Amino acid sequence: MSDIAGMSFEAAMAELEKVVRDLESGNVELEKSIALYERGAALKAHCEARLKAAEEKVQKITLVDGQPTGTVPVEGL
Amino acid sequence: MGTLFLTHEAGLGHVTPPGHPERVERLAAVQRALGGPDFAGLIRQEAPPVSDTDLRRAHPPGYLDRIRAAVPDEGVSDEGWAQLDPDTFVSPGSLEAAYRAAGGVCAAVDAVIAGAAGNAFVAMRPPGHHAERDVAMGFCLFGSVAIGALRALDHHGLARVAVLDFDVHHGNGTQDILWDEARAMFVSSHQMPLYPGTGAASERGAHGNVLNLPLPGGSGAAAMRAVWGPALDRVAAFAPDLILVSAGFDAHRADPLAGLSWTEADFTWITGAICDLADRVCGGRVVSSLEGGYDLDALGASVAAHVRVLMERGA
Repeated sequence: MSDIAGMSFEAAMAELEKVVRDLESGNVELEKSIALYERGAALKAHCEARLKAAEEKVQKITLVDGQPTGTVPVEGL
Repeated sequence: MGTLFLTHEAGLGHVTPPGHPERVERLAAVQRALGGPDFAGLIRQEAPPVSDTDLRRAHPPGYLDRIRAAVPDEGVSDEGWAQLDPDTFVSPGSLEAAYRAAGGVCAAVDAVIAGAAGNAFVAMRPPGHHAERDVAMGFCLFGSVAIGALRALDHHGLARVAVLDFDVHHGNGTQDILWDEARAMFVSSHQMPLYPGTGAASERGAHGNVLNLPLPGGSGAAAMRAVWGPALDRVAAFAPDLILVSAGFDAHRADPLAGLSWTEADFTWITGAICDLADRVCGGRVVSSLEGGYDLDALGASVAAHVRVLMERGA
């Protein structure tokens, strides 16, 4: 699932929605169903990580008199 | 009275292609697990073939004709099997195995109703709970447990029966067959989303007697007990005269086809809870039948845990 690490939030979210649709459609084989579920779980984790990173960036936007003046890099990024 | 154990060597004659998870070795593992001295007290019988009358309560004649026609004759098929759907294969021995899987449940129902046994466990394959009235799917050909439930109602004249399904996959076939049966209650817990995609709590049956208990991936004992506790209270209120169990052991944490984290202790707990309920409402009458479970060691250990409780309670 190394391909997921490089995915944009939008791409991961779109694929996650497709995974959920496929799992709920009943058209996935019993034997392959768990692999698809696991990919969905990995996509969900990736989306959550990208969201969290975005939130941290937003929190680091510096404000002067209520106006954004720039961003401070988040540690570790 | 004791616990009746029904199986048959024909269950080993239903052969699936190499690498298929629903394989001959599953039944061998179950038979091995129940072969030790702890299980010497089981009343052992061979599972008989189901009658056409019993089959036709659950499946239309055209469906039965299609299944019979699909099964390859010995020596005719190059590879030894035919494929009914992406998951479901039949070999020359599949028809007899499926007949005895459903017949085993019917014989167990007869014995428990007659008082010849306190409860019963049927170990056969193919499994049955995905087979709908008119669709073979998910490794399943005939809805064995639903067939047993309908025999209890129509042949024995019981007023109400309950079918409890703790296989990790939704029992869509049993739900389909019993959807419009006011005398039957069907309860299924299952990982969701997962195959076959059905089993939402909003699916309640034509008479409000279907109760679906979806469980999130990764969940274990706490989530299981949280849904089954109230569900068993609902079953008690329904007051069944007999409880049938679709006993799949693929919610085990080691199972390769699912992602729940049950252990042998959880199968012990749920079996005990079902037997407690059966003691309260139907004189302890429980007929359990093997469904899924694809890690051989986990399957053997979990079946042993399940049957150990049945033996303690059916004595």
